[in-house]
Amino acid sequence: MAAPMELSCWGGGWGLPSVHPESLTVMAYAKFSGAPLTVNAINNCWRAPKGEVPILISEDTVISQPAKILNFLRKQKYNADYELSAKQGADTLAYIALLEEKLLPALLHTFWVEAENYCSVTKPWFASRIPFPLSLYLPGKMSREALNRILLTRGGPPLYSLTEVEAQIYRDAKECLNLLSKRLGTSQFFFGNRPSTLDAFVFGFLAPLYKVCFPRVQLQEHLKQLPNLCRFCDDILSCYFRLAVSGHSPAGQDTVDANLQKLTQLVNKESNLIEKIRLSLFLCRWTTTFVRVLSIPLES
Amino acid sequence: MALAAEAFMTQLAAAEPWPENAALYQQLKDEQILLSDNASSLAVQAFLQMCNLPVRVVCRANAEYMSPSGKVPFIHVGNQVVSELGPIVQFVKAKGHSLSDGLDEVQKAEMKAYMELVNNMLLTAELYLQWCDDVTVEEITHLRYGSPYPWPLNRILSYQKQWEIRRKMKAIGWAGKSLEQVLEDVDQCCQALSQRLGTQPYFFNKQCKGLTFQYRRLVPKIRPTELDALVFGHLFTILTTQLTSDELSEKVKNYSNLIAFCRRIEQQYFEGHDKDSSSSATSRSAKRSLLR
Repeated sequence: MAAPMELSCWGGGWGLPSVHPESLTVMAYAKFSGAPLTVNAINNCWRAPKGEVPILISEDTVISQPAKILNFLRKQKYNADYELSAKQGADTLAYIALLEEKLLPALLHTFWVEAENYCSVTKPWFASRIPFPLSLYLPGKMSREALNRILLTRGGPPLYSLTEVEAQIYRDAKECLNLLSKRLGTSQFFFGNRPSTLDAFVFGFLAPLYKVCFPRVQLQEHLKQLPNLCRFCDDILSCYFRLAVSGHSPAGQDTVDANLQKLTQLVNKESNLIEKIRLSLFLCRWTTTFVRVLSIPLES
Repeated sequence: MALAAEAFMTQLAAAEPWPENAALYQQLKDEQILLSDNASSLAVQAFLQMCNLPVRVVCRANAEYMSPSGKVPFIHVGNQVVSELGPIVQFVKAKGHSLSDGLDEVQKAEMKAYMELVNNMLLTAELYLQWCDDVTVEEITHLRYGSPYPWPLNRILSYQKQWEIRRKMKAIGWAGKSLEQVLEDVDQCCQALSQRLGTQPYFFNKQCKGLTFQYRRLVPKIRPTELDALVFGHLFTILTTQLTSDELSEKVKNYSNLIAFCRRIEQQYFEGHDKDSSSSATSRSAKRSLLR
């Protein structure tokens, strides 16, 4: 019925189809609404991501932000919200605004600004999926943009230092998680038994926080104390993405994740080493040429 | 540090009752104040009226710089200064007055979510219109923002603020939006508010102590919450502010229950307090305009 649609987004890890919140939101909505989407994970090839990710390409149309992509899918008759009442539709918008205002700054901070998390997890993961030389520049740019966003939106007086801003945004994020947990209660999804746009957004924001193994995990620990939200993420992963869920053997999954992390770090160290060797060979060659050039007048 | 200070302030706030000489500071009403600041100020005034707490409005050209957070309005109560609706609601709660006590947890979550919706969409759209739409910036904002100050300070302050707001818009992804897209977002927000309000008088119709006489019967009183104050502040200001074009107010006028809501709150909480009796949200001939 509709033209083939291709979604370009960041790939998966730690049991998730994607570790990027916005990409995950779009993928979840596509699963909920039954939209046939071909997912192309950005990997180490020369089609480097420029600008916004995720991007939906359908024939000649290129659409870039999650809200716009979801609107497009709805116009193509892939609508996960048709059973919602008008009030529930309004509630969806309100809760999405709550997520963006209260949870997103802390999420960005956990991934991109917190130094230990960024250096040991985020940067190696993203750098390994971007071709050299962009891998040296793009993760840093994304980190600076995240910090910029946090400071511009939340960093005004009376909070004058980054630690105060951090404390405030984590407090707000924990409050937001508590509110979401109260709203979800014991139901399977936010509105009845069928997932909708709000479930896609909440899943997209919570699942990376829940699954990715960070060294500094205060928000993750808070999330793990809200069992209904964890169950919500696990249910969607097992029903819609058919991926193994860590609920039954958390220790086993944790060691697998730890091993994976060590392997990733090893691979990154090796690739760093290879790059250093390449650079030193280049320098050697350059020095030899320089010396030869200098020695020509001496010989003559 | 700021969190400890906040906890200490809450303790202090709880100790004293609300004084008679509380003051709310905002920019100069007729010459200086802009759409977004006026909306925020009106929201706080409405909230304090709903809590039955007396406050007098004081207009100062440098209100923005006096404010502890750089944003207007702020209230001066006793020896404490609190700015913006969120902290003011917390402060008033510490003094023992609250509009949202009777709500259950899910309703409180919904109320906070809708307040974020208004801040995220309506307030950002107002800021966009004032500072990123070139026509409005040239004809209204630059003239009003620095008007109490002499040249060249008025232009410098104005450009500095514009640069700051544009940086923020770029960071949150609104810089690439066109005016039509922003107005569409406003429409979406108003639609959501209208659908949530429905035919009820307020967003959350919690019954509180006391009875009121309505339709020849005594019925339980229904009180508004801070969400009603915030929505009223923004919608009333949008409806009664004359800008370069009527597009923004037209978006709100599409929803008759929102207009009725504004009228109801104005009649109940502002009639009699407002000496400017010709101003009314629905009276087109006597629009209260912020433009000279």
